[in-house]
Amino acid sequence: MATAAGTLAHHAESGVWSWLTTVDHKRIGVLYGITAFSFFIWGGVQALLIRTQLAVPNGEVIPATLYNQLFTMHALTMIFLAVMPLGASFSNFLTPLMIGARDVAFPRLNALSFWVFAGGAVILTSSFFFEAPGAGWFNYVPLAGRTYSPGQGIDFYVIGLTVLGLSSLMAALNFAVTIMNMRAPGMTMMRLPVFIWMVLIISFLLILALPPLTVALIELLFDRNYGTNFFNPAEGGDPILWQHLFWIFGHPEVYVLILPAMGIVSEVLPVFSRKPLFGYSAIVFAGMAIAFLGWAVWSHHMFTTGMGAVPRTIFAANTMLIAVPTGVKIFNWLGTMYGGSLRFNTAMSFSVAFIALFTIGGISGVMHASPPVDTQQQDTYFIIAHLHYVLVGGAVTGIFSGIFYWFPKMTGRLLDERLGMTQFWLWFIGVNMTFFPMHYLGLVGMPRRIYTYDNDLGWGFWNMFETVGAFVIAASVLLFVINFFRTMQQEPTASDNPWDAPTLEWATSSPPPEHDFDVIPVVRARDPLWYNRDHNIQAEQPTGEHIHLPPPSYYPLLLAVGVSVLAVGPISHIAFTALGAVIAVYGIWGWALEPTE
Amino acid sequence: MAHQTQHAAVAQHGLTPRQYIMLGVALTVITVIELAASYIPALTPVLVPILLALTAIKFAAVVGYFMHLRFEDGLLAKVFTSSLILAILILVALAALFWGDYAPGVRAARGDAPASAPAAPKAH
Amino acid sequence: MAQAVAHAPAHGTNTGIENRKLLMWLFLGSECLFFGSLIATYMVFKFDVIARGVGPFPHDVMINGVLHHGILDIPTTSASTFVLLMSSLTMVFAVYGAQHARPTLMKLSLLATIVLGLVFLGFQVYEFVTFVHEGLTLSTNLFGATFFLLTGFHGTHVGVGVLYLISMLAASMRRNGLGADAGAHVEIAGLYWHFVDIVWIVIFPLLYLMP
Repeated sequence: MATAAGTLAHHAESGVWSWLTTVDHKRIGVLYGITAFSFFIWGGVQALLIRTQLAVPNGEVIPATLYNQLFTMHALTMIFLAVMPLGASFSNFLTPLMIGARDVAFPRLNALSFWVFAGGAVILTSSFFFEAPGAGWFNYVPLAGRTYSPGQGIDFYVIGLTVLGLSSLMAALNFAVTIMNMRAPGMTMMRLPVFIWMVLIISFLLILALPPLTVALIELLFDRNYGTNFFNPAEGGDPILWQHLFWIFGHPEVYVLILPAMGIVSEVLPVFSRKPLFGYSAIVFAGMAIAFLGWAVWSHHMFTTGMGAVPRTIFAANTMLIAVPTGVKIFNWLGTMYGGSLRFNTAMSFSVAFIALFTIGGISGVMHASPPVDTQQQDTYFIIAHLHYVLVGGAVTGIFSGIFYWFPKMTGRLLDERLGMTQFWLWFIGVNMTFFPMHYLGLVGMPRRIYTYDNDLGWGFWNMFETVGAFVIAASVLLFVINFFRTMQQEPTASDNPWDAPTLEWATSSPPPEHDFDVIPVVRARDPLWYNRDHNIQAEQPTGEHIHLPPPSYYPLLLAVGVSVLAVGPISHIAFTALGAVIAVYGIWGWALEPTE
Repeated sequence: MAHQTQHAAVAQHGLTPRQYIMLGVALTVITVIELAASYIPALTPVLVPILLALTAIKFAAVVGYFMHLRFEDGLLAKVFTSSLILAILILVALAALFWGDYAPGVRAARGDAPASAPAAPKAH
Repeated sequence: MAQAVAHAPAHGTNTGIENRKLLMWLFLGSECLFFGSLIATYMVFKFDVIARGVGPFPHDVMINGVLHHGILDIPTTSASTFVLLMSSLTMVFAVYGAQHARPTLMKLSLLATIVLGLVFLGFQVYEFVTFVHEGLTLSTNLFGATFFLLTGFHGTHVGVGVLYLISMLAASMRRNGLGADAGAHVEIAGLYWHFVDIVWIVIFPLLYLMP
C-alpha cells in the first residue's frame, strides 16, 4: 500500500542513532524481539550445558559451582530476558496496530522501558564475569543469605531483578493506559482482539505483582549487606517470608509468561480455521478469572513448608479451581477449529501443538495442586517436566506461532514454509523427547538441581534420551535462525493481508508506515476486516492532512543509563549510586522540558 | 467515548477553598481523637477497631476529596479500590499465615517451640 | 502529549480520563501493594519481637516483671503527622490555584508544601538519629529492621515528592510558567503527594498508636 507521501513528519532515518533514540512502538518491538531472541539462544546454550552434564551418570563435564550458576541463570535468562520480553516484543509491535492507534500512550516511556530492560539484562548477565547467582531462580534463603552465598552472585540477582521489574512496571502502566484509552472509533472493549485482552490482563498482573517482589528483594539486599535479619531465624526473622513474598509475585508471573501465548493462539486459530473465534466472551472472561484466581494460589509452591491444614486446603482448592477457566479456553480453541476449513501451515501447526503441549503441562499442574501428591513431587524432575511443558511447550511454542504469523506484517516477508515445517516437527519431537521422560524420572525420585547421579539409580538411559532431545530442540531453533536470515535477504513482497486475517493490523501496509494508519480505521464488528470484506466496505482514502508523530528522543536512553548506574551502587561503590542519581535527575528534567510538538 | 469538554467540567468540580479548609480541620480533629484514644486505658480493648475505623475515614476523605476521586470517572475509583483491596487481602492473609500455626516465632511466643526452630518442619 | 495530535481530530481518550492521570492512578495502585508488603512484613514480626525479648521495643512492655520503656516518641511524631497533613491541605490549594488560573496562589502553596515536606523529613531524620543513639539499629531486632525499612521508604517517597514539587515550582517561574496544561501538571503531582500522605495516615496509627 502506498503511503501518502509528503503528508508525514518524517524522521525515519536509518542508522544506529535512529535506533537509540526511537520512540516508535514498532521499532521498540523489534529491539525487544532481537534482544530477547538473543537471550533465548543464550539461555538455550546454558540448557545444553546442563543437559550435557546430566547425560551420563557421574558426569563431570562442568564444575559443580558452575552447574549451580547455570541452572539458576538458565531460569532467570529464559523467564526475565527471553520469554517475558518476547511477549513484550509482540505487545509493543502489535498493540497500537490492533486497536487502531498511531502509537502507545507514552512513546518515550515505552523507549525507557526497553532501555531499562537492557540495563537490567546487562547487569544480570555480567554476573558471569564476577560471580553468577547460584541459589536457584526463586533464590530461597537461607541458601541465598550471606552465610551460604558469601559472594556477590545473589546481589547481582537482587539488583538485576529490581531493575528488570522497574522496566516491566513502566511497560505495564503504559500498555494498560494505551489499551483503555487509545482505541479506534468503534473498538469497544468487547471487540478487542483476544491478544490485546491478554496484554491488558498481563499489565494489571505486573502492576500489582511486582511490588511484593521488589520488597522481598530489598529485604534480601538489606539482610545481606546492611545487617537486618528479616530472613534469619537465629535473630528472630523467618525465611518463609521470602518464599511468601516471592510467590505472591511468582504465581501471577507464571500467567504473565503464558497469557501472551494464549492470546497469540487465539488470533492464529480462527484465521487458519477460517472461522471466528468460538466463544469470544468465554475466552476473555476465562482470562480474567485466571488472573483473578492467580492471586489466591501462591502458597501451592510451598505446601511442604509446614502450613496448617486450613491454608493448605484453601490454596489447594483455589489451585484446582484455576483448571476450570483454563479448560474453558482449551475447549474454545478446539471449538474454533471444529468444522473449520483448516490450513496447516507452520503458524497453525505451532498453535495446535500449543494446545496439546500446554494441556499436558496443565494436567500435571492440577496433579500437584493436591498437597499430599505435591509432597511427593516437590523439588523433583516431575516439577521440571510440568513447568517446561507449560513454558516451552506452551509459551515458547505459542511465540513461534506468533513469529510465523506476524512475520510478514513486521518485515514484509513470509518465512519459508518448508524450513518452517521442518523446524516445527523437530521442535515438537524435541520438546517431548526432552521433557516427557522427566515425569518418570521425577516420580522415581530424581531431585531437581542435582549435579550428578549414580549409575545404580538407573536414571542413565532417560537422562541420555533427554539430552538428545535437547539437541533436537537446538537444531530446530538453529533452523529458525537460518530461515530468518535467508528470508531477510529476500525482497519484501508480502501483501498487506496474506492470511486473510480479520484484525486491524492487517489493514495497513506490510511493514506498516511509521504512522501506522493513513486513516484511523472505524471498527464496526469484532472481526473488522472480515466484516468490511463481507459488507463491501472500502478503506477510507487519506485526506493528506499532516500527521504529527512524536520526535525521537535520547532522554529515555540517558535516563536508563542513569537508573542502571544508580542500581549497581550497592554491588560496587556508593559513588555509582550518586552518579546515577545525577544522570537520572538530569534525564528527567531534560525529558520534562523536551518539546514533543 | 471521549468527552473532553465534559471531562474538563468534571475536573473543575470539587470543593470550595472554604470546604477544603474545613476538611483539613476535620482531619486534624480525627487525628487528635486517635491520639487521645490511645492514651485512655479504658479504651484499650477496643482501641484497634477504633483506630482502624478512624484511619479508614481519614483515608477515604483524602482520597475522595483532596485527590478528587469522588468527582472523577468511576473507572479510576475501581482501579484504585481494587488495588487497595488486594493489598489489604494479601496483608491479612500473610498475617493470618504467620500468626497461625506454622510460624516459629509465634509458636515460641506460645511456648511450643524455641524461636530458632527449623523453619520448615517437614515431618508432620 | 503527542497522542492528542497523533490521533484524528476530535478524538480524545476512550474513557474520557486523561492518559497521565490514568497512569498515575494505576501507579498508585501499584504503590498500595508496595507499602502493603512492607506493612505486612512489619505485622508478621510485630509479636515475635516481644516474644524474643530483645529490645528496644516500640511501646512500654512488661517482660518477666521488668518494665521496658517504649522507644517511640508519640508526641513528637504527632507533630510531624500534623505537618504532613497540613502539607496535603496546601497541596490542594496549589492544584486549586493552577486550575483556576491563580498562579500566585499556586506558587505560594507549592512553596508551603515543599517547606512542610522538608519539615516532616527533618522530624524523621531527628527520630532516626535519636533511635540509633538509644540503641535501635537495623540489626538490633526485627522491630528496628521493619521500622527503618517501612518509615525509611515512606521518607524516600516524601523526598522524591519534594524534588518533584521543587522542579514544578522552578518550572512555573519560567516566562510561560507551566504552560496551558498547568492544571493537569500540578494535579498529577498532587495525586502523588496526597498518596504519600495517606500512606502516613495508615502508618501512624498502625506503628505508633496500636499496642
